[in-house]
Amino acid sequence: MSKNVILARMGEVTLKGLNRGKFEIQLKSNLKYRLRSYGKLAIYQSQSRIWIEAKDDENPVFKSEESAKEILHAVTQVFGIVSASLARKFEGGIEDIITNSVEYVRNYLNEHPDHKTFKVEGKRGDKSFPLKSPEICAEVGAAVLENFEQLSVNVNEPDFILYVEVRDYNYVYAGKVMGHRGLPVGTAGKGMLLLSGGIDSPVAGYMMASRGMQLDAVYFHSFPYTSEQAKEKVVDLARIVSGFSGKMNLYVVNFTQIQLDMYKNSPQDMLTITMRRVMLQIAEKLAEKSGCKCLITGESLGQVASQTLEAIAITNEVTDMPILRPLIGLDKEATCDISRRIGAFETSILPYEDCCTVFVAKHPKTHPKHVDIEEAEKNLDIEKMVSDGVAGVEIIEI
Amino acid sequence: MIYFDNSATTRPSPKVAEVLSRELLSDELYGNPGSIHKLGTKASRSYDAALKKAADLLHCGADELYFTSCGTENTNTVIEGYLSRNRRAGKTVITTGTEHKATLETVKRAETLYGSKTVYIKTLPDGTPDLEELENSIDDDTAMLCFTHVNNESGAILPLEKIVAIRDRKNRNTKIFLDCVQSLGKLPIDLSGMKTDMASFSGHKIHSVKGTGLMYIRKGINIDPLIVGGGQQKGMRSGTQSLFLADAFVTALEEAVNDRKEAYERVEKINLFLREELVKRKAVINSPADALPFVLNVAFDGFESETMLHALESFDICVSTVSACSSKTKAVSYVLLEMGIPRKTAANSVRLSFSKFNTMEEAEKFIETVDKIYELYALK
Repeated sequence: MSKNVILARMGEVTLKGLNRGKFEIQLKSNLKYRLRSYGKLAIYQSQSRIWIEAKDDENPVFKSEESAKEILHAVTQVFGIVSASLARKFEGGIEDIITNSVEYVRNYLNEHPDHKTFKVEGKRGDKSFPLKSPEICAEVGAAVLENFEQLSVNVNEPDFILYVEVRDYNYVYAGKVMGHRGLPVGTAGKGMLLLSGGIDSPVAGYMMASRGMQLDAVYFHSFPYTSEQAKEKVVDLARIVSGFSGKMNLYVVNFTQIQLDMYKNSPQDMLTITMRRVMLQIAEKLAEKSGCKCLITGESLGQVASQTLEAIAITNEVTDMPILRPLIGLDKEATCDISRRIGAFETSILPYEDCCTVFVAKHPKTHPKHVDIEEAEKNLDIEKMVSDGVAGVEIIEI
Repeated sequence: MIYFDNSATTRPSPKVAEVLSRELLSDELYGNPGSIHKLGTKASRSYDAALKKAADLLHCGADELYFTSCGTENTNTVIEGYLSRNRRAGKTVITTGTEHKATLETVKRAETLYGSKTVYIKTLPDGTPDLEELENSIDDDTAMLCFTHVNNESGAILPLEKIVAIRDRKNRNTKIFLDCVQSLGKLPIDLSGMKTDMASFSGHKIHSVKGTGLMYIRKGINIDPLIVGGGQQKGMRSGTQSLFLADAFVTALEEAVNDRKEAYERVEKINLFLREELVKRKAVINSPADALPFVLNVAFDGFESETMLHALESFDICVSTVSACSSKTKAVSYVLLEMGIPRKTAANSVRLSFSKFNTMEEAEKFIETVDKIYELYALK
């Protein structure tokens, strides 16, 4: 009797010193949450590896190759996992090892028909097993060669390595799916992501989550200048980010009246910066309420007028919380690459207005000075704007 | 809900719903018209009766009509089918830049498929094609003219008689394809007198259901079918005929033809009232003065099209920005730009389109709402 199991490898977590245990517990808990829809699972650890298998041998999702692969993919989406492989677990002697190895290779070759060379690597943890590691390798290698005419052995640069491990149980596996590395979400506090409908902010959220940060998000909605579809799009993006960062609250701020007030009572060329200052203050208030310790934005230096050093300095002034800008040194292409990799790009480029584009001035100030912002805000009741924004918030659980 | 988006689609009429649901539940009508048992024969007879009725209502022969799925299918079939079958009829297709995307994309693809050449006649500010340019463009090599009877975004009405006269003068062999999707039920359609060679009709624009279309190909014109298979509908459109959809179409067609005059007068009043009230409110009317009253294209100063659409939507009023078929991609209406309307005005434009179900009260409510929206959201 053999069953499909998943072998996941940890990366940076294993470098942690005395705290390592906390990171590992968080990682296993995140895996459990991510895989919650697949039935009761046993998730256990040995050294730098985590094994995942169904508690119930009849669990159908682990029985079919297809759904086992789906679980494998889900595992690789969890930060802290470097790579994962689908393995076969079974009991028995060398005969069983050979049978299972041959069967595993058959499935593997269906997926990788171009693979022509291989080698076998054996590990014998159970020293009572009658064959030594090189002997296990030789036996299994011979059986694979015999069964698959197209394969030959190449010990230096094989197309794939077939691993055979003999421990409390026997395991065979080959190939690996790369994970997103990073640290387990929940080990680095919680941050409030300013999420627009664009390409950058979901990537910024993803990057902070990859350092272990849990996220909530805030979106500024300006109906009718931005449509319901634009809001739906942001909800979709929040969902994509939460696939990596776990449970999240999305705060939707009704921003229309605030934006109209600004539009009417402050100079056009400072509008974007004034707006960002108000947004940050609202975000900070919401962050305090939800236990977030920082704000996260998708700004990249020099990308647009509000992202020059002067503009960033002036927007920074209004909050006490640290503002993390993980994309600050990335160019757009690099951001787009990440966006594509995390599956957000296609949603991000849907052509709905976001609140920044409707009210944007033709020639915004790129190097604002203090006097400019004082002038721009002198006719605005910023405090009221912030408290109105916080009061009218809609919370969507993602 | 005030529904001023009837050029995008219409609500099925109660009669259509009634006929359709009755037939769907009938014990006698579900046969395949191609089957030779009695259920098949019954379906086949009923189908022929629907075709005959449509032919009577449109003043043509039943052997000149084909039930299809939609206007786009018709346009693809007649343009491609004619060019494919009649290679010696000429290489040139004449059309305008203000046609529906179905036509524009089909003529473009025909260039690669059949080596045809497309000539785009200029559109005048009143939304009609420049007839002088048309006169100069038709020659011995002109295979077909493709025009819209009523433009879906501006409501401009094609001067069909003049175009037919030019065609007759310049090249009698040139065929005319008329897209009647927006004119059916609004202008009189008499195919025997219109001298058009091919025409396209769509059911869901006249209160039938989506998935119903009707294609007219004048007797004697041969075209290659777009869909081949079991040879149904004289080989012109293979695929099992749907009696239910045919009847859903013909029911709506009968109502449309019978109600046409009354609907026209009703909508004309609504249109005139709105034009009058809207110009008082800084709105620019893009539709030509003599446009079909069922369409009213209007630009609201200071409001991008989408903003106005969503603001109206929040008061339960549905309108369109650019035509619904292409509005998923953010763009300014190419139809308005072709008419010479400035980009800024075009970017602020929405289309109101009416049906016989709209009322004067709705028009009044619309104006009140526009005032409210100006008060709430105007940026100037």
